[in-house]
Amino acid sequence: MIRLASLLLILIGLYGIFSSRNVIKILIGVNVMELGVNIFIISVGFFKGGIAPILTADSFSSAMKFVDPLAQAMVLTSIVIGLGITALGLVFARKIHAQYDTYDLGAIGGGKDD
Amino acid sequence: MINPVFMIAIPLILAFLSLVAARIKKWLLLSGVLINIAILFFLEKGETVIGGFKPPFGINLILDNYSMVGLALAGLLLLAGVVLSLDKADKYSTVLLTALAGINGMLLTGDLFNLFIFMEITIISAYILSTAGKKPEYSFNYLVIGSIGSVFYLAGLVVFYSLTGTLNMADLAAQNLSMGTPELLVPLFLIFTAFAIEAKLIPFGGWVKGVYGNSNRLTGALFASVYASTVLFVFGRVFNEVFALSGAVQTIIVLIGVVTFAFGEAAAFRQVKMRRILLYSSIGQSGLAAALFALGLIFPAVLLVISNAVSKFIMFSITGKLREIYKTDDYTDLKGVFFSNKLTGIAFSISAMSLIGLPLFFGFYAKLNALTALFNGGNWFIPAVILLFAIVEGAYFIRLLIALWAPGKEGEIADKSHAVGEIRIFNIKKSILVFILSLVILAAGLIPDLAGKLISSDSGFMGGDGPAFTMSQLKGGE
Repeated sequence: MIRLASLLLILIGLYGIFSSRNVIKILIGVNVMELGVNIFIISVGFFKGGIAPILTADSFSSAMKFVDPLAQAMVLTSIVIGLGITALGLVFARKIHAQYDTYDLGAIGGGKDD
Repeated sequence: MINPVFMIAIPLILAFLSLVAARIKKWLLLSGVLINIAILFFLEKGETVIGGFKPPFGINLILDNYSMVGLALAGLLLLAGVVLSLDKADKYSTVLLTALAGINGMLLTGDLFNLFIFMEITIISAYILSTAGKKPEYSFNYLVIGSIGSVFYLAGLVVFYSLTGTLNMADLAAQNLSMGTPELLVPLFLIFTAFAIEAKLIPFGGWVKGVYGNSNRLTGALFASVYASTVLFVFGRVFNEVFALSGAVQTIIVLIGVVTFAFGEAAAFRQVKMRRILLYSSIGQSGLAAALFALGLIFPAVLLVISNAVSKFIMFSITGKLREIYKTDDYTDLKGVFFSNKLTGIAFSISAMSLIGLPLFFGFYAKLNALTALFNGGNWFIPAVILLFAIVEGAYFIRLLIALWAPGKEGEIADKSHAVGEIRIFNIKKSILVFILSLVILAAGLIPDLAGKLISSDSGFMGGDGPAFTMSQLKGGE
């Protein structure tokens, strides 16, 4: 179920990217897509009844039902990278606005090469 | 002996330092690329375990002949680019140092998720470099397409992880996954898409026109040589060592490469702007190299990547500088520009003729090896395409060279008064640097067997395909 939801999110993000001409909306699409793939990664390591992979007084044996910690570590990295890309994308959006006074890629007309 | 991890750590440390000590960042960049070349000679070959976790649980770096060639090529071309355009590189010192760390990491790593991280570092630096074209909408376009690629890569990677429980390249390869099975097709396609976007394959290379077409002499040269060759080297490793292609999947990927080659060369023929010609030619060469890699013909593919990277570096550098001086890169407006710049002109011509694959140049050896290897494998379709489009390639490059060398119209005597201008393209030191680079192509073309040996050693790459064609065969020695 959770996997289907994550795939749906990826598709919604893709649809947003390809259907919109507004720079900010495209960036939101990218973010939704990244969110989808992050949930997908988590879902791979998850199973019902699994507990957090931390050794404590209650759960001291490696035979306990831990969820996969590697998937969570990967998501952490992926979130950071997504943040960096979003920040850079917003910088580009600001530059586009400063140069053409619009956020609409259609209004720029693809831009003429110099 | 030096641990290969320093190839990644040193540029990263210098990148952080260049933020703190902004005044000397130019020197940090220069020392970074120089140290990078210097430690290449002392690197410890083989596998390096990071952090004390044995692979496949931890991350490992792999330094074999293949990654060594990639590291040397990328490092030397980056050094040449920085020296040639130090005034422009100064502003991007931090970015270039980070890119160097990412590129070295991509070539060295033995782990698929680690590869993702280094790929992101490298691509984000490429997004930033692409802003030098002052066209933020193209940089934005590149960023969005690149992000889609990384999401696809990540999704594909996770499916492989859930099926096999490992992300280690060697461990994945040891599981002998059969790529024909339906549940592996989707993740394989996702991973291929990510590489296809970076390797400019059709239909995923939509960003190239805007980014390469608006590049300056630094970024154009780096994109077309350092970045392009690194991506292709990693493509070669992933689709040969990790996922062994076969059957219909292999055919489709090879076909995408060949179609890209044909499209690139045909599109280049129709252009009059020099950067456009070079960018479509880059797309074409990239497609051909990808097709050879997908067929498992690693040695000819590596030769092709090297020959293309050096040639494109020289040509993009000169074109970028020409555009700076004359505010145009339309070659019909640049008639006879090499007339008073003979050294630079010769360097440009050697690069172009090597790309066409004329004898005596390194490109000839690369193409001959590719054709021989293809024929040996009983393939006649791809050689036919290569030869057909070599004529197209020859036509547009020779047309370009004639325009740039000969001032005036046909039938007139060429003299300085017809030439577009007598401004020096590069000062004498830089002309000599570019010229020496082009002499490397010439020298490697004159003694190709030595060059081939230097590149592959005797054992070849990844368990062995060496040169399919050697000069001694030509002399009847074998």
